[in-house]
Amino acid sequence: MKTSIVVGLTLSALLGSAFALAAPQSGPDPKMNYFVTSKGLGKGGNLGGIEGADRHCQALATAAGFGGKTWRAYLSTQARAGKPAINARDRIGKGPWYNYKGEVIARDLAHLHGDTLDVARLGNNITKLTNLTEKGEVVPGLNDGLNPRSREYAYMLEQTVSNRHETLTGSQPDGRAYPPGKDYTCNNWTSDEHGTSDNLRENKGANVQVGMSDRNGGGNGSWNSAHGTVGCSQQDLARTHGIGMYYCFASN
Amino acid sequence: MKKAGAVAALTVSLLSGVYVAYAGQQMPMSFFVTSVSVGKGGDLGGLAGADAHCAMLAQAAGSTGKIWRAYLSTQARPGQPAVNARDRIGQGPWYNSKGQPISQNQAELHGDTLEMAQRGSDLYKQSALNEKGVVVNGVGDTPNMHDVLTGSQLDGRAYTDNMDHTCNNWTSSGMGSAQVGHSDRSGGGSTSWNSAHASRGCSQQDLVGTGGAGLFYCFAIN
Repeated sequence: MKTSIVVGLTLSALLGSAFALAAPQSGPDPKMNYFVTSKGLGKGGNLGGIEGADRHCQALATAAGFGGKTWRAYLSTQARAGKPAINARDRIGKGPWYNYKGEVIARDLAHLHGDTLDVARLGNNITKLTNLTEKGEVVPGLNDGLNPRSREYAYMLEQTVSNRHETLTGSQPDGRAYPPGKDYTCNNWTSDEHGTSDNLRENKGANVQVGMSDRNGGGNGSWNSAHGTVGCSQQDLARTHGIGMYYCFASN
Repeated sequence: MKKAGAVAALTVSLLSGVYVAYAGQQMPMSFFVTSVSVGKGGDLGGLAGADAHCAMLAQAAGSTGKIWRAYLSTQARPGQPAVNARDRIGQGPWYNSKGQPISQNQAELHGDTLEMAQRGSDLYKQSALNEKGVVVNGVGDTPNMHDVLTGSQLDGRAYTDNMDHTCNNWTSSGMGSAQVGHSDRSGGGSTSWNSAHASRGCSQQDLVGTGGAGLFYCFAIN
């Protein structure tokens, strides 16, 4: 009896050290200047404006030990009376950008966005496995954690393995803002209203353009501009498999 | 209660309807990644042998009435013009073995305009299924088999230089090299499905060595 306890203890000690050895990474690469937020702000598309979104990036980066850099959310805003549009691509510095593991996700703005035809066809290095959070986590994507409830925000919080690949950008594929008119930015990141329809293509109200962090699904696999949503509430984002994550880049 | 359930079901089907326009009338398979290779590296028995491999696998999977073409280019030889992979596969739209869209047309598949190229098509790891409906192993899976033979440039056309990009027009299992794409659109610093890098050589081991298995894409032209 006593022996079996000892054996059990030894086993668990051995297993424990095996797991410790198997840990893929001891910590973030010092070069990290890009991540997907490990969580959203919890108020749908209302991020407290683009400034609030930047603060969230900065706070997450600081918690990960990267507060010394200036962090910017990869988000566009649309033009308003007296206020010009802001293009996500103009906010994030010049690159190259590195993920948690120190892998290059794009060399420069042209590589990131595919500014010429061949570069666009070849693509950047943003994939499900390189698109890591500031904690080094892979974001669950298409077909992960399939469940009848996987479109409910409460469930997505509970079960962190379910698909949550929809990433807020408010941007066109080239990283620039949409023209004024139809909402693509949850009213410049201040709205958590419901849209006018539960069908993506018929929604004429509150809306946000999202990319696919896993480059799978959404009609094209674009990282930054796949399609819109059925609204800007937290539950609206959840309905098409998002929880309000977005991309953060260090601009310096 | 019953009503609420019905409303919920309707809402769900409306939502899925956004992407699943084919619900209820599944489109027959017109695209797949071969589940197995021919087994002789880059020697596929030429284009004819590769096409026959596509047809054989499709038939075994229960596909009927389709004419299958391997997505492969060949390079020009004296008296023989080059063949472009993109010119062999019809005009689309193409659907995988579960009836999910792969691409609406040639322009979307190859990104013929800047915006199309920036966006990409519906061909990604979770949709690039083999003829049996299984996702092909990619980066992070064991063994990785994502290197897919194409012998093609990014635009789906044959190479025009003097280097070998087609394992001698799909007849060599030794010397030479083949251009490959990645069925999971991951690895090597790009996301290209059809033109990511060159293979080390043309033997079966050479293809396995860089994360391949000698698989290729098959498209139905009708």
